[in-house]
Amino acid sequence: MTYSQARKELEEIVRSIESGELDVDKLTEKVKHAGELIAFCKEKLTKADEDLQRMLDEIA
Amino acid sequence: MNQSLTLLELNRFVREVVKNNFPDTYWVRAETSDVRRNANGHCYLEFIEKDPVTQNIVARARGVIWANTFRLLESYFQSQTGTAFTSGMGVLVRVSVEFHEQYGYSLTVVDIDPSFTIGEMARNRMLVIRRLEEEGVLRLNKELPIPDVCNRIAVISSATAAGYGDFLHQLASNPFGLIFYTKLFPAAMQGENSEASIIAALEKIYENRDMFDAVAIIRGGGATSELNCFDSYPVATNCAQFPLPIVTGIGHERDVTVLDMVAHTSVKTPTAVAEFFIDHQAESLARITDLQQRLVSIARQAISRENSELALLSKDVYHHSIAFLSKQNSEIGNVVFMLRAYSQKQLDTLRQEHKEQVVRFRNAVEHVIRSEKHRIENAEQYFEMVSPKNVLKRGYTITVQNGKIVTSATSLVENECIETIFSDGKATSEIKNIEKWKI
Repeated sequence: MTYSQARKELEEIVRSIESGELDVDKLTEKVKHAGELIAFCKEKLTKADEDLQRMLDEIA
Repeated sequence: MNQSLTLLELNRFVREVVKNNFPDTYWVRAETSDVRRNANGHCYLEFIEKDPVTQNIVARARGVIWANTFRLLESYFQSQTGTAFTSGMGVLVRVSVEFHEQYGYSLTVVDIDPSFTIGEMARNRMLVIRRLEEEGVLRLNKELPIPDVCNRIAVISSATAAGYGDFLHQLASNPFGLIFYTKLFPAAMQGENSEASIIAALEKIYENRDMFDAVAIIRGGGATSELNCFDSYPVATNCAQFPLPIVTGIGHERDVTVLDMVAHTSVKTPTAVAEFFIDHQAESLARITDLQQRLVSIARQAISRENSELALLSKDVYHHSIAFLSKQNSEIGNVVFMLRAYSQKQLDTLRQEHKEQVVRFRNAVEHVIRSEKHRIENAEQYFEMVSPKNVLKRGYTITVQNGKIVTSATSLVENECIETIFSDGKATSEIKNIEKWKI
């Protein structure tokens, strides 16, 4: 999954929850999934990926 | 042979002719080339003129600016044009025409008109821009979206430039904890080779374009500010058509260069380029944080709404249950009542029926008894009537012979005696005649 896909899905979830069309069971499930997406997105922005930097360093 | 001259004699003659025929100084329009300073501070260069269409060189002259003149002109020129006096510039210079026996033809610069160069640069920029526009590439890089995650940055800079250090430091010390990955593609950002060097760096990045989100072209900290390469068509067209967004921070004070115009984003300094990337990433992070907060708040709302609905519901359930139970209760009461009433009625009916049956039975029994009694009475009467005594009274008699009742004439014998019994006596008689009837 890419960051954009994750963010789009996250926005979709927030919208659907805000529209109030979900029942409690779905809500719980969606919120849980949204939490995972948030963590994924934040990680992409703030967590260092040493492999990535190494790959860049290796470009001759 | 007496007519011949030595080379020196000839050159002296030429020198005299030139000196006599070009006594003044002259304003000349030309393009600079191969500009260099020697240790004494003298500036040597070539003046050239190109065919505007073919770009072929159609005229050439050596030039020199003596150190005492050059010191003054150089700083004046730079302050006016915002760029150093260097190769590849259109200039308007006032020259004296010299011919030296040993060094030949040359032009000695005594003055320069920076406004002409400004105009030339502007004109050149205009031409480059118009060409890019005609080719439809001028805005291509500007139209590229900056991806949400834009943290893999290819940097084109001189490795030793102070600006590059500032850029890296700024990125690394961002207050949001944002991560950036950088890769330097070193290039000479000034001098003769800068144009080719920048294009080579771009080509290298292009080969690895999948590994980057954006390109930063930065320059800063150098003493001279030579910007020609940033107005050049080859650099501009490469940048305009580059598949990754390009952010420039080439640190100059004068009007924008062509590179700045074609780049996705142009800011003044390398530090500002870093700020641009930080801001963009911070915005992405803020969007996520915003979604997170919205999510938390609506989820909280939804849960509390659900809770209160649940409370209402449970209240409802309680009330409904009570109502239901009391309704059930009264219904059961009704049923019991009805059942009781029904049972009573049934019981009454049964009792009534029983009573009637008893009566009927009694009547039947009495009837039977009566009729039996009647029958017995009849029988008694009958028996009374048919008793031998009564039968004898009515005139019937019993015939006996030898102590036995005679019922048939056949058993009788003539001249024998028979007894005839009456109700009130008997008679003995002798049989005179026997007459037998066929029955």
